[in-house]
Amino acid sequence: MALLNILHFPDPRLRQKALPIKKVDDDIRQLAHDMLETMYDAPGIGLAATQVNEQKRLIVIDVSEEKDSPLFLINPELLVTEGERDFEEGCLSVPEAYEMVTRADKIRVRALNLQGETFEMEADGILATCIQHEIDHLEGKLFVDYLSNLKRQRIKKRLEKHQKQKL
Amino acid sequence: MIILAKSKTLCARSAAALVIHRVTQGQSLNTAFVDINKRLDESQRSLFQQLSYGVIRWYPTLEFIGKQLLSKPLKTKDGDVFALLLMGIYQLRSLRIPDHAALSETVNACKLLNKQWASGLINACLRNYQRQQDALEKSVTEQLVSNFAHPAWLIEKYQSDWPDHWRQILEANNQQPPMMLRVNRREYSQTDYLALLATANIPAYAIENCPQGILLEQACDVFSLPGFVDGAVSVQDGAAQQVVDLLDLQSGLRILDACAAPGGKTCHILERFPTNQMTALDISDERLKQVDENLSRLHLSATCLAADACDTQNWWNGEQFDRILIDAPCSGSGVIRRHPDIKLLRKPEDIQQLAQQQQDLLDNLWPLLKPDGLLVYTTCSAFKQENELQIEAFLLRQPDAMEHVPAMAPARRAGFGYQLLPGDNDLDGFYYACLRHR
Ligand SMILES: C[S@@+](CC[C@H](N)C(=O)[O-])C[C@H]1O[C@@H](n2cnc3c(N)ncnc32)[C@H](O)[C@@H]1O
Ligand SMILES: [Zn+2]
Repeated sequence: MALLNILHFPDPRLRQKALPIKKVDDDIRQLAHDMLETMYDAPGIGLAATQVNEQKRLIVIDVSEEKDSPLFLINPELLVTEGERDFEEGCLSVPEAYEMVTRADKIRVRALNLQGETFEMEADGILATCIQHEIDHLEGKLFVDYLSNLKRQRIKKRLEKHQKQKL
Repeated sequence: MIILAKSKTLCARSAAALVIHRVTQGQSLNTAFVDINKRLDESQRSLFQQLSYGVIRWYPTLEFIGKQLLSKPLKTKDGDVFALLLMGIYQLRSLRIPDHAALSETVNACKLLNKQWASGLINACLRNYQRQQDALEKSVTEQLVSNFAHPAWLIEKYQSDWPDHWRQILEANNQQPPMMLRVNRREYSQTDYLALLATANIPAYAIENCPQGILLEQACDVFSLPGFVDGAVSVQDGAAQQVVDLLDLQSGLRILDACAAPGGKTCHILERFPTNQMTALDISDERLKQVDENLSRLHLSATCLAADACDTQNWWNGEQFDRILIDAPCSGSGVIRRHPDIKLLRKPEDIQQLAQQQQDLLDNLWPLLKPDGLLVYTTCSAFKQENELQIEAFLLRQPDAMEHVPAMAPARRAGFGYQLLPGDNDLDGFYYACLRHR
């Protein structure tokens, strides 16, 4: 396994649209496991390949307290969305910013698993929020896009300052 | 995605558990340490450092005990919990923290790792350790790996190279390294700087046989050293400070430092003779930046090039050098006290590969030396394959090279060159060879 580097907002690479995965092979499985370790290490509850600079439609999620229920979604599609729910979200690519975002409360998704087989699942609550947050990443979209311009600029300024300090 | 509850700030113990886990997964201790240190409150940092370095230093022993306390091994993703267990054992057996505090704080750290489920397990294992301490500690002494806290292959390698010294080496590798300084002779004499340290209340001593060397009684932050930012001193072990004398320097020489980063020896050479024409090479762009930083802090200048030294076609202008220093990449088996993660990260098959790189450096750089010029080859290894056997083989391949005997021997005489072993004079383990072009 390996820990991967997570890109930080406002890195333009976070704005790229990820490409569908044609074949689920060992490279993809390796990437998925590295992403999972990176996510656990952070620690976070979801990570999209875009965030580790891989333009592939792959996300990993684990919302369990015990961190023993990883979920891998390859080429995920939202089939149905229902209701509304507010949740204070944060993102591994936007350190130290937590903001309320409104998303669908219940969803149905279709995706491939690590064996390349198609499956469908329903989700609600935090899992539903997380899946939508990660699918957004694959579209080049970030949770800060749901905020007011002013709030987004403030976060951007702060992170740019951070990055300069690191250099 | 991340949610607030999951990103609690870390305490010294949970942070050290993350570092230890990362090292077991192949990351270098220094990288992991610097990364996690940023997420910590100032007040936690000293314990964090003590725990991260201490547990890695004693890892083979702690792992041996830890495995006996668990009824079944933990999953890979719970490596942080295993790290926490080893850290608990480490505190109980080696640190002066009261047992009950060590126990409860270690158990509490599970929460910050989001592993609440493990608090019962950690608590039970540590209490078991306390109950069975005598028997467990006895079993530790019965096997070399646990008794000396080194992986078996390293022990065997030291034993076969140094049948009379391997115990000394293993024991020295487990010591906390002292912090040593090199005084910039252009700014201060050793005595003057010692006086400055005394006024700053930093206890320190002169290092024997090391005209610019100072030993600090206790490690400290470099920025608290008088004049550090202006180039008064640099951090460098006494063993490395001996290299400059072997180069038989004078002013006006063309010098190549082929493996220069982070620039310790480059700068030392220029402190002696700033007018020398110095070319400092390193294969790593990233590390070469540190050479630049050190040169500018010390107000010195050199031509810095990022290049594979072996690829002379690419970087060399055809003008030969009077002196060449090859401070070669090596196993680090002489400096494990400074880099205890070598115990976990280095693999037996690395040695052959490193020896090949060293051979390539010697073979490719030798033609760049002027007739009557001097090439100094050094490593921080204690293995003969990288040191005296490497030089012996080189002398066989290169009939126009001969060993040069320096005015003062820097260490014990080896078959070829000189070998400082870990534990000798409380310095780093180091190898030196001087070769003259006939
Ligand atoms: C032991 S360190 C040098 C320490 C340095 N001389 C000092 O005193 O601060 C070895 C260095 O060799 C560099 N290196 C490894 N292979 C190299 C090559 N083929 N050409 C140039 N540099 C190389 C590594 O990047 C590393 O920085
Ligand atoms: Zn995100």
